[in-house]
Amino acid sequence: MSAARIDEATLRRSVMVASPLAVLLAWQVLSAARVFPPEVLVSPQAVLAAFGQLTASGELARHLGESLQRLLWGFSIGSGAGLLFGLAAALSPTFARLFDPLFQALRQVPVLAFIPLLILLFGIDEVFKIVIIAKAAFFPTALSTLDGVRGVPKAWFEVARIYRTPLPSLVWRVLIPATVPAVLSGVRLSLTRAWLVLVAAELIVADSGIGQMMEMGRQMFRLDVVMVGVVVCGVIGFALDRGFVLLQARLLRWRAQPAGAAA
Amino acid sequence: MSAALRSYGAGLPARIALGLLVPLALILLWDHQARHGGEHAFAFVSAAQVAGALRELWQSGDLLTAYGNSLRNAFGGLFWGSVTGLAVGSAMALLRPVDWVLTPLYHGLRQVPLLGWLPLIGLWFGSGDLSKVIVVSLSAFYPAVLYTYEGLKGVEARMLEVGQLYRLTPWQTFWRIRWPSALPSLFTGLLQSVAFAWIATIGVELLFPTGFGLGTVMQHGQLQARLDIVVVCIAVVGLTGFAINLLVARLSRHALRWRPVRT
Repeated sequence: MSAARIDEATLRRSVMVASPLAVLLAWQVLSAARVFPPEVLVSPQAVLAAFGQLTASGELARHLGESLQRLLWGFSIGSGAGLLFGLAAALSPTFARLFDPLFQALRQVPVLAFIPLLILLFGIDEVFKIVIIAKAAFFPTALSTLDGVRGVPKAWFEVARIYRTPLPSLVWRVLIPATVPAVLSGVRLSLTRAWLVLVAAELIVADSGIGQMMEMGRQMFRLDVVMVGVVVCGVIGFALDRGFVLLQARLLRWRAQPAGAAA
Repeated sequence: MSAALRSYGAGLPARIALGLLVPLALILLWDHQARHGGEHAFAFVSAAQVAGALRELWQSGDLLTAYGNSLRNAFGGLFWGSVTGLAVGSAMALLRPVDWVLTPLYHGLRQVPLLGWLPLIGLWFGSGDLSKVIVVSLSAFYPAVLYTYEGLKGVEARMLEVGQLYRLTPWQTFWRIRWPSALPSLFTGLLQSVAFAWIATIGVELLFPTGFGLGTVMQHGQLQARLDIVVVCIAVVGLTGFAINLLVARLSRHALRWRPVRT
């Protein structure tokens, strides 16, 4: 019985490794057999060569550096503001009543729809890109902070009052542990959204960055450059999310179930 | 219960007034900027201009045409994306080999930010409606697969055991046990698919200037520095997103009304 289970696990693992390899192989065979013209389907080697070329010339590093810098600024500003907004709205009913309708209304509009407006207001410089990323990062963090802080059961405060818990330990021992998991999952969503919007904004207007590299590749029919861009976008997106999950697991290691395991 | 309702009702006008305060102040400030002009006066438009733009777009029929085109792209993409997503997700949940083969591919492809596919899809399928529908389908496909899979996988083991006791056929097991218990998850997926499809539609229209949708109208407005047109489009996009979300939420509540828990 246990031998069979081990066999199945090995089989499963090998199939999961084999299937992407099979796709790569099919790609290689299709492009070698010239089923499609090379302008439509470049060979994996050509993509690899383009990658080597872009790396050697430092072009890829420059674009990526620009993109990540924008991401860092926009994401920090946006999620920081979201955290403050969420806290204020959860703790002060007046603040919530004042700003909630505006918040809900703005939340309904997809970030991408703000691009033309922000271009008109801020031009196509760096400010525009950072504002749009910050806007994308703001809402998930604000929402999850709001929900997280509001979701702390009233009874916990009552228990703390009965035990005459001083305020610092109330914050440190009750509020932060109760809200951090929710807040962090919002911040994680913010990071993903920020990356998505960054790539989109760079596709539309930019003089540098990974999105612009892909857009130039498209306009010059350099399919290999576009493919490199797609793969790099995917790898960076994955690395950002994984990195955050690891950080999350570390921050929440006091919990019985590590958060990273579920994700 | 009734006391809570009454206090809510009594506070309602005051609440609405408070909620309107900030948006109104912003509009007034905006209007003031537009008319008395600071250095950014060119960028601001007065409320009257926005109303004028709305009338203009309405009377020329542009707004309705563009709106119709955008909705058609969104629903076309939503349909194809959800149907394929449902099929792929079910196959992955019910057949283990399919799960092993597709899981690494699905999670690999999902890492690429959605609009990052645009340059590649543009090169392959041109920048016409086909490319747009493909990207929108993709945006609806991801959540559909994920939530179908999770829903069908998440069925409780004891339910399946009851099914075994009654000697249900595989088809009956699927239709009587797995499907109903997957429904809540499916609706969550649909809700996300709808939201993503609408966002993707606008993004694609901003990036591919062919065709004539709301995104295109916005893009033209931006190029002609017609902020009034851009603002009208943002409002329409936002209201539509809101309405669609509300509709799907209602639909899911109606379809899941047999469930004892609140959703």
